[in-house]
Amino acid sequence: MEQAAPQYQVVLGVIGSDCHAVGNRIISTVLEQEGIRVENLGVMVSQDEFIDAAIESGADAILVSSIYGHGEIDCDGFRRRCTERGIGDILLYVGGNLVVGKRDFAEVSALFEAMGFDRVCHPDIDLEAFARTLKADIDERYLTREPMRLSA
Amino acid sequence: MLFDVSSPLENTRLDAADFDRLRDQVLATWSTGADVDFDEGVQRQLDLPEHKRFSAALEAADERGATLLQPRAGVALLQEQIELLQALQDHCDLLPTTIDAYTRHNGYQEADAGIARSREAGRSLMNGFPAVNHGLDGCRELVDAVSKPVQVRHGTPDARLLAEITLAAGFSSFEGGGISYNIPYAKSVPLERSIRHWQYCDRLVGRYEEAGVRINREPFGPLTGTLVPPFVSHAIMLLEGLLALEQGVRCITLGYGQGGNLTQDIAAIRSLRELAEEYFNAAGFEEYRLSTVFHQWMGGFPREEAEAYAVICQGAAAACMAGATKVIVKTPHEAEGVPTAAANRDGLRATRQTINMLAEQRKPQDHAIDLEAEMIKREVRAVLDAVFALGEGDIARGAVLAFETGVMDVPFAPARANPGVLMPVRDDHGALRVLDVGKVPLPDDVLAFHRERVAERASSEGRDADFRMVIDDVNAIADGRLVGRPH
Repeated sequence: MEQAAPQYQVVLGVIGSDCHAVGNRIISTVLEQEGIRVENLGVMVSQDEFIDAAIESGADAILVSSIYGHGEIDCDGFRRRCTERGIGDILLYVGGNLVVGKRDFAEVSALFEAMGFDRVCHPDIDLEAFARTLKADIDERYLTREPMRLSA
Repeated sequence: MLFDVSSPLENTRLDAADFDRLRDQVLATWSTGADVDFDEGVQRQLDLPEHKRFSAALEAADERGATLLQPRAGVALLQEQIELLQALQDHCDLLPTTIDAYTRHNGYQEADAGIARSREAGRSLMNGFPAVNHGLDGCRELVDAVSKPVQVRHGTPDARLLAEITLAAGFSSFEGGGISYNIPYAKSVPLERSIRHWQYCDRLVGRYEEAGVRINREPFGPLTGTLVPPFVSHAIMLLEGLLALEQGVRCITLGYGQGGNLTQDIAAIRSLRELAEEYFNAAGFEEYRLSTVFHQWMGGFPREEAEAYAVICQGAAAACMAGATKVIVKTPHEAEGVPTAAANRDGLRATRQTINMLAEQRKPQDHAIDLEAEMIKREVRAVLDAVFALGEGDIARGAVLAFETGVMDVPFAPARANPGVLMPVRDDHGALRVLDVGKVPLPDDVLAFHRERVAERASSEGRDADFRMVIDDVNAIADGRLVGRPH
């Protein structure tokens, strides 16, 4: 069977009314260097803008950042919205300072996993290692979805 | 969104009739605006005791060469906000009220929902105090409940309604500006619009001034808080100072965010004050009160609290040695986001201890400081010469054109109005230099100085100076050092 080299395509952005641009720019640069195509929506992105971009670019994953503390409000219902818009099985990642104040990361992680995020990333994550995890997750999805893709 | 597009943007005092017409529109943008009455606001301000007036505290500090302490603090609900400020007031000289991010983008509906959800959750789910939603009565209650002057700190491109409500309620200082609260804080607000909206805020403060009430105005110095070379923020501080003076503001505090190299930080505060006097006087302004504010490190913080305290104390020392009138204090929870009251208080106590141990000491005099200060002045003058030329003498128009043409450029800013080409990097001693100057017209010999310093670092690290080095610098302080050396 002929196997094309996988193309990794993700949508990246900072959700809500959050205007923290520095980390966003760095994540984008590092992921591109690691061979991942990044549709970077920058700061202040709504759930629907993420989903629109994911549909248009045929993205494998949506990477949501939140630094300013409103993440708990802004990310609520994201998976449900993806399902409503017809991309319910897309990989959904979130990372940053996700809640107001200092809370145990395991607790924060559980909170966002319950919202339907596949991975919840600590702000200190090593970005190169993260890129490898992301690619492995996409490969896994690709393999499980392959029959559908072949028939398309 | 409302502003008068019939006249071109210019740096002239807003016409009284135009202001009144705009004012009616502004007050109608959210229900709480209807309660605002200017004359009542003036009376309220005149009734404030002396110890709750921001301008009086700054003036006294400036005269005795003291550095005042101010935290940041804002939560969703009124009672919580009162308790928070009461828990901090004995440990600082000036109080803040930090406004939430929804209000900063005029999302009063979202702020209402945030307040409701915070009530349900029994804790603040918002990163600040939604002052517009709490309205005049809520804001008055807050000012009445505390013992120190209170300032509005935010990041709002269109802060007109926020200013109307909070100033009428007795807040006596208002942070921000048409450039400094757009470029680092918004994505798609045209610069012309935010400058017009801030002319309105400044004119409102000017009206209070003319009614005998001195409100302090503070342009936001740190911008993106990420490796911003001093000349970049100084140029914006001077422009916003001049724009405010034109509208009748007479008490101005110009800001600078700590870079981390002590020599450069001291030079930055000194040159900021000297440049301000130079430019304000040249524009014909004599009657005003000038002060400076030094922001402790605004970039990424170490997660370990002991290490965070070290960053806080180094900033406290730099603020004091530089002779800043005020220092904005960080907390040991900075890496985690919004701090608890206890963490906020501990940041203030660490800062107080550091400043108390330095306040009586002589400020350092050093050739290296003079050299840095001279370099900053030449950079700022080169940028402002180009701004004046672009605007044909009008700095409001000049500022818009300067961002359009790349003459002004703020590193790591989210705004589309910002060119985003200028890239900073630290030199071998941790001072901030430009790696890529973009289209900013620095003089050739100044640029050569930057290149020399960056080359020195590249050679000592045995690698090229590139974006990898910049990323290392962005992360360096959180990782435990000033300069982002290769791993």
